[in-house]
Amino acid sequence: MNLIKTKKRIMRAIPAFLNSIIKLAVVLFILFPFYWMIITSFKPYAETILMPPTFWPKTFTLSAYTSIFNEMNLGIYLKNSIIITLAIIALQIPIMVPAAYAFAKYKFPGHKLMFGIVLVAFMIPGQVTFIPVYFLMARLGILNTLLPQILPFGANAFGIFLLRQNFMQIPDEIIEAARLDNASELKIMFRLMLPMSKATMITLAMFSFISHWNSYFWPLVMTQSEKVRPLTIAIEKLKDVELGISWNILMAGNVLLVFPIIIIFMFASKKIVRAFAYKGMK
Amino acid sequence: MGDIVFKGINKSFGNTKVIEDLNLTIKDGEFTVLVGASGCGKTTLLRMIAGIGPATSGELLINGENITDIPPGKRDIAMVFQNYAIYPTMSVRGNIEFGLKNNKVPKKERNRLIAEISEIVGLTPYLDRKPSALSGGQRQRVALARAMVKKPSVFLMDEPLSNLDAKLRVAMRSELIELHNQLKTTFVYVTHDQVEAMSMADTIILMDHGKIQQHASPEIIYNDPNNIFTAQFIGTPPMNIIPLNEGIKLGFRPEKIKLSREITNSKFQRKCHLITREMLGSETLYKAILENETIMIKSLEAEFRMGEDVYISIEDTDLYFFAADGNRIRKGDVPDYNKLLKMVGGSWNEE
Repeated sequence: MNLIKTKKRIMRAIPAFLNSIIKLAVVLFILFPFYWMIITSFKPYAETILMPPTFWPKTFTLSAYTSIFNEMNLGIYLKNSIIITLAIIALQIPIMVPAAYAFAKYKFPGHKLMFGIVLVAFMIPGQVTFIPVYFLMARLGILNTLLPQILPFGANAFGIFLLRQNFMQIPDEIIEAARLDNASELKIMFRLMLPMSKATMITLAMFSFISHWNSYFWPLVMTQSEKVRPLTIAIEKLKDVELGISWNILMAGNVLLVFPIIIIFMFASKKIVRAFAYKGMK
Repeated sequence: MGDIVFKGINKSFGNTKVIEDLNLTIKDGEFTVLVGASGCGKTTLLRMIAGIGPATSGELLINGENITDIPPGKRDIAMVFQNYAIYPTMSVRGNIEFGLKNNKVPKKERNRLIAEISEIVGLTPYLDRKPSALSGGQRQRVALARAMVKKPSVFLMDEPLSNLDAKLRVAMRSELIELHNQLKTTFVYVTHDQVEAMSMADTIILMDHGKIQQHASPEIIYNDPNNIFTAQFIGTPPMNIIPLNEGIKLGFRPEKIKLSREITNSKFQRKCHLITREMLGSETLYKAILENETIMIKSLEAEFRMGEDVYISIEDTDLYFFAADGNRIRKGDVPDYNKLLKMVGGSWNEE
C-alpha cells in the first residue's frame, strides 16, 4: 500500500523535476557566455589562449582594465556614450508625453490621421531613413559632432504609442478633477499622468537606453573624429590589434559595455512586466 | 455667490440631443438635488456648471454673469465624482493639497486648512497614506475633503454615495446634510436614488429625457406631483395608476390605502383580491387585483392573508387625477372637479 503511494508520489514529482532541469539548462546556456566574458577579462593574455582553457583565472589581474583606460583612452568614449544616451532620453520625455497625452485625451481635427503618421513612423525600418537623415545632418553642418547621434532619436514613435495606450487607461474624471483643482495641462501631464505611468516610462527609458547604448552603425557613419565616438566603436577597435586579438582586453571592453545594461535590467525588470501587463485601476 | 441660471441650454452628443431648450434656476445656498433615471441629463447639467462638459448652445449664468468662458479651475467650484477620481500616486495629504498649491495658497495656510478639514472628515490619521491603502468609505472622504478644503461657493456632487455600502451610505447622507447646514453654500447633488433625493434636498429637480418634470421641495413633489412620471418616480412602491374613461387616469399611493374586511362608510371604496403578501416588519406590502388592474398596498396591518377578498378605502384628498398626456388635473384646472370624483365612486358630497 505504502509502496504504491510512494511510487505515485515519485511519478508525480518527475515532471516537476524535469521542468526544473530544463529551466536550469536554459539559464546556464544563456549565462555561460557572460561568465566566460567576465573571467576572461580578469585573465592575463597568456592564459586566455591556454589549452585546455581554464574555467577560473589562475592569475587574477586587472591589467586588461588598466590598459584599456590608459592606452585606449576609453574614458572619452564612455563619456560620449553616456552623454548621447542620457540626452536622447532627456529629449524624448518632453516630446513623447505631451504627444501621447494629446492623442489619448484630446479630440482635435486630424487626430486620427496624425496618430496614423506616428504609427507609420514606428513601422518603417530605420534603415530606410538612414540616407535622407544623413543628408539632412550634412546640410545642417553638424556631422562629426554628438548632435546627429542625438537629435534624430528625439521623437520615439513606439514610445508615443505605448504611452498613449497607457494614458487612455487613466479615467477622464481624474483629469477633470485636476482641472477643477486649477491645474495647468502641463501639470496634469507631468505631475499626474506621468507618475501614474511610471512602469511604462521606465520601460521606455530602458529600451531607449539599451538601443542607443548599443548603437554602432549610426555613430560610425555620422562621425570620423574619435572625440565624438561612443563606446561601441571603441570596443570594435580593440580587435584591430596587429599582433592578433587580445581576448582579455576585448572582453574587458565588453564587460564595460554590457555592465550598465545588466544593472539597469536588474532594477527595472519588475516594472517592465508591469508596463505590459496592465493593472486594473480603481 | 448667487443663483445658477441655465438659459435656453441645448446639449447634443454627436447627433443625439440630450437636453433641449432647458431653463432652470438653482437657488444660492440651497441643497438642490437633480434626480432622474440614468441618461436623463442630470450629470450633463452638473458637468456644465463645473465647466468640464460645455453646453452646445445657450447661456449659463452665475450671479448674473455669463461663465461659459471661465475655465473650470477659476469658477470657485468643487466637485465630488462618482468614482472619487482621487489622484492615485499622491498621498491623502497630496490629494487634499493639490488644489491649494495650484491656487498658490501659502504653505502655512495650506497646513492649517488640511488639518482643519481632515479633522472634520476624520482623515487625520491617514494623511500620509496612499489612496490604495484606504477603504471605500475613506476614499470617499478624501474626495470630499479635497472639495471642502477649497472652500468653494458651489459644491457639485455626482452620485457620491453610490459606491458605498448601504449602512455607510445612510451615515454619509446625514453627514452631508449636516455639512450643508454648517457651510450654507450651494450644493448641487446628482442621484438616481429617490430616497437620497427626498432625504437630503431643499429642492428637488426631477428630470426625464432631458426635460424637467418638476422642480419643487420634497414635500410638494410627494404630495402634489405635476404628472404621472413624478408621481411614480417618488415613493416606494410607486403610485398606483388606474385608467378611467376618456383617457383620464386615477392615481393613489399604496401607503394611503386603508384595508378592511367589512364595508366602511368611506366614499372611495372598492373590493379587491390579495394575491401576494410581503411582511417587512413595521409594514406589510400587499399586491392586489382591482378590477383587472394590479395595485400595490402598503399597510401597517399584517393580519390580511394571501387569497383574501378585502375592501380598500381612500380619502378623496389622496386621490389624484391625470389627463391623457400624463399631466395632473388639479382642483382648479377643470370646471367640475367633482365630476371626476363622482366618476370613481359612490356618493360624493356636493360642495
